[in-house]
Amino acid sequence: MSYDVMVIGGGIAGMEASLTLADAGYQVLLVEKSPSIGGKMIELSKVFPTLDCAGCITTPKMAATANHPNITIMTYCEVQEIYKEGEGKFRVKILKKPRYVKVDDCIGCQRCEIACPIFVPKEYEYGLIGRKVAYIPFEMASPRKALIDLDNCVMCGRCERACPTDAIDFLQQPEVVEEEVKAVIIATGFKPFDACLKKEYGYGRYKNVIHALEMERLLAPSRPYNWVLRPSDGKVPDRIAYVLCVGSRDKSLDFPICSRVCCMYSTKQAILFTSALPLADVTIYYMDIRAFGKGFEEFYNMAEDMGIRFVKGKVAKITEKEDGNLVVRVENIDDGTIEEEEYDMVVLSIGLTPNSEVVKAFKNVEIELDPFGFIKPVSENTNPVLTNVKGVFVAGCAAGPKDIPDSVAEANAAAIQCIDYLYEVGAKVVVR
Amino acid sequence: MVNDKIGVYVCHCGGNISDVVDVYKVVKAVQNFPNVAVAKEFMFMCSDQGQQMIEDDIKELGLNGVVVASCSPHLHETTFRKVLARAGLNPFLFEHINIREHAAWAHKHDPEGATEKAIRLVRSGIAKVSKARALESIRIDMPPQILIIGAGIAGIRSALDLAKLGIEVHLVEQLPFVGGRIAQGYGAYPSGKIGTELIDELVEELKKEKSNIHLYTNAEVVSIEGFIGNFEVEIQINPRYVVKECDKFDEAIEKCPIEVLDEFNYGMTKRKAIYYPYPNAYPELPAIDMNACNKCGECVNVCGDAIDLDQKPERKKIKASIITFATGFDPYEPKEGEYGYKQFDNVVTLPQFERLLALSNGKLEYKGKEIKDVAFIYCVGSREREGEHKYCSRYCCTATINAALAANQKFGVRTFHVYRDIRTYGKYETYYEEASKNGAVFLKFSPDEPPEITQSGDKLIVKVKDQLTFGEEIEIPVDMVVLSVGMVPRKTEVVSMLRVPYSMDGFLQEVHPKLRPVETAIGGVLIAGACQAPKDTVEATASASATAAKASTYLLRGYTELDPFIVEVDAEKCTGCGDCVEECMFGSIELKDVNGEKKAFVIEATCRGCGACAGICPEEAINLRGYTYDQLRAQIDAMLEEVEE
Repeated sequence: MSYDVMVIGGGIAGMEASLTLADAGYQVLLVEKSPSIGGKMIELSKVFPTLDCAGCITTPKMAATANHPNITIMTYCEVQEIYKEGEGKFRVKILKKPRYVKVDDCIGCQRCEIACPIFVPKEYEYGLIGRKVAYIPFEMASPRKALIDLDNCVMCGRCERACPTDAIDFLQQPEVVEEEVKAVIIATGFKPFDACLKKEYGYGRYKNVIHALEMERLLAPSRPYNWVLRPSDGKVPDRIAYVLCVGSRDKSLDFPICSRVCCMYSTKQAILFTSALPLADVTIYYMDIRAFGKGFEEFYNMAEDMGIRFVKGKVAKITEKEDGNLVVRVENIDDGTIEEEEYDMVVLSIGLTPNSEVVKAFKNVEIELDPFGFIKPVSENTNPVLTNVKGVFVAGCAAGPKDIPDSVAEANAAAIQCIDYLYEVGAKVVVR
Repeated sequence: MVNDKIGVYVCHCGGNISDVVDVYKVVKAVQNFPNVAVAKEFMFMCSDQGQQMIEDDIKELGLNGVVVASCSPHLHETTFRKVLARAGLNPFLFEHINIREHAAWAHKHDPEGATEKAIRLVRSGIAKVSKARALESIRIDMPPQILIIGAGIAGIRSALDLAKLGIEVHLVEQLPFVGGRIAQGYGAYPSGKIGTELIDELVEELKKEKSNIHLYTNAEVVSIEGFIGNFEVEIQINPRYVVKECDKFDEAIEKCPIEVLDEFNYGMTKRKAIYYPYPNAYPELPAIDMNACNKCGECVNVCGDAIDLDQKPERKKIKASIITFATGFDPYEPKEGEYGYKQFDNVVTLPQFERLLALSNGKLEYKGKEIKDVAFIYCVGSREREGEHKYCSRYCCTATINAALAANQKFGVRTFHVYRDIRTYGKYETYYEEASKNGAVFLKFSPDEPPEITQSGDKLIVKVKDQLTFGEEIEIPVDMVVLSVGMVPRKTEVVSMLRVPYSMDGFLQEVHPKLRPVETAIGGVLIAGACQAPKDTVEATASASATAAKASTYLLRGYTELDPFIVEVDAEKCTGCGDCVEECMFGSIELKDVNGEKKAFVIEATCRGCGACAGICPEEAINLRGYTYDQLRAQIDAMLEEVEE
């Protein structure tokens, strides 16, 4: 099997770019480091400004990617080394991490999961609930195949005995495969800001301070508790505060840029409360409301009309009371007062930080980063998906924070630039 | 003929449906309905697992029809048709029933009613599929030709991307020169390049692709006929009156006695009737503005037969498989008196200010007066509470701060920013930060109390109630007020020719912002750049490339497939009355003599499947494939059947 393009990252941008290339007739190798494709988007509840459920849009993309005859997906794999050996020629080494489950034999029946006695926090739910050590990453995973988290395994062997197809294989070893591709698209997305770094907001210390991705899970259709509950005592929150720009526009954290999506996702979550928690009061503390995309301002106006309270002011400090309630201290710019309000729960609207480790895999060429650590697009105004290395393209949040429509547009842009490049190096598509 | 082994699949839609509709009850109520072989529910029917389940059932149970009850068919009808195809079943033995919008969402507060409605809808779908017959998609050839309307930054980007693949591009621009709005811009962010520099770069590439790109400037689309794969377009190329190269154009321009306001500089300067908008404009030939020209012949005296003042418009027919709109935007034109616009001399718009920066050297002067202090008023023609521009224009915050920084650095101008929210999103935040560091003053106003502009001596006074100082009234004397105007949609005639839908905000409407962001509801018609919504150059070129990507998937493959839902005539029932011929607005039915009798015939290539002829036919001789009389009657009967508790 030979591939034309390697796409690194199986989130919405990576899937979209792969699908377009594959539809045009090219062979795509899609490498995803986690056990399932779907990226961050599959974790979300509903998406702004249309309020479509994220799953309804992501799962069919996942299925289309998985079923496309021109796309080969390698999940739970990491790109280790990339050598550019000339135009249209990249030699890559990919690490296949052991799942300890033979993927071809696993039928996704989850009997290993039921048999496994050990619980650890479930990554997909941001630790809100547990998972087993033998597990399927999440209900809609693709591939829907089990894996075993050996770091936490006690080797009791129950999964092995429970598996009806003898798919468990504790002897699997990491394996490095070598492939040759003609072009590379980087679509590695972002890392959510680590809220613990913003000490004054108490994340990690105060139980009822959660971050927005955790709230996404609490609000999602496949939500863990089927309700929005606060962590300390399981109370249904009546008063919820959002703190915007956590980890964004913050020079004290050496991250001065804006994350583009937090204003809107916070507004969206607040709107979702009107059906999830119709009686809850929601306050959003913001610096500027950045409702800049198509339909966003109208969405923001709708939220205001629904009674969501928007207060301009940068939250100075959050303190925890004995009953788990939280007091938010803020200078309210709208009326010039120092406001101290009590809430049942505080949601930190965390920003999007770079996920650019992949550049280390490039061994004989250097991929340029911008001052904030994202992959740098080198001719942004006229062709925003080019990197400084010819034949290597970037799409989505790997190049900087952005929302889903912008990521999808860029993914397609990266695909066409890639096709243009393939033509240039003589790899024309064979028309059937 | 009845399809008697139908699989019914009811989706929870992750709670979107199942929070209201009792999906288990729906399954129970339909599993013994006639012709149903199996009925199941699932969390996300569109997911891999859901699709696999249907595929397996088709193969294992030998299903000959499938009903999926889930979201809108707009979202996933094709997803499920593909499942049938993969399983070896004809994809049109499928019915997509929408119980999300039609039941769960419409009757949120009446779960029982919603459930009953869902049951009736699903049953109607079963009945319809039971009478469905296998159909074949209509294959349409897609020769590698495309029409792109608009040669601004988006149109050129899209043209280049496709031309490099050997695709024939017809690029039509209404003005005599390419470059659009970007050519008029001053410093583009984030590159810092001047607008014309960006266009120059693209033009260099354009010249290299000359063999595949036919550029028509001064041209407009007169008519469009046909459909995806087969658009027939007539364009009119209006005369440039300059017909070939000459090395004395500069002299001809100098000799021209006519001076008119230069629209390229938003009327702040004058140009001749024979002109270039800016040095290095492309195409290299100057153009003559016949509205201004008095045919004095001075230029002809200099350039001879390079100039033809009697040149006539030319019409040309073009074939295209796909049409891309890259028709851009217009800057909002403030109303007279809006923040002193056209009332006081030194109130200008941001695009005018950018031209002023581009044209100024040494010091910043306007109407003979040096400009030292400038106030920018944001959100003019955007985020309107009342009025038609309710949306945010996205680019203006960053563009304004970017222009202010340039004015400060180049001319030492002091800047005051009177804003509502500063939306320097993403990495553009650094511009905001830099401006603040350089002494720019920011004052925030509430839309309830907008700033007021008055004149005092040779200064303009901006009076603003500043929210950042808790409502203090501040008066700023300045030399110039710049209105940071938004983008407004263009209503062009070509859009109406193709019936491309508009969004609420007046820009062109995409099918879905995430799933199909550059396609419109009209097959084969794509949208690039700011005609879809306000965008900056980065976003406009990304979306332009995305249209090229979409087009390439059709044009490289050479064909596409359309739904087979067109009409067919039952010749035995047809009496040749001709009512259908009159009813058809696409001219797709004709009467032909068959053994001395007149019979209706359908021209399949142009039939749009609207069904108007089927409705008018007194003999029911015309049926719409996929929606036959048989199917619709069965559907209605099933829907009216009692739902027992």
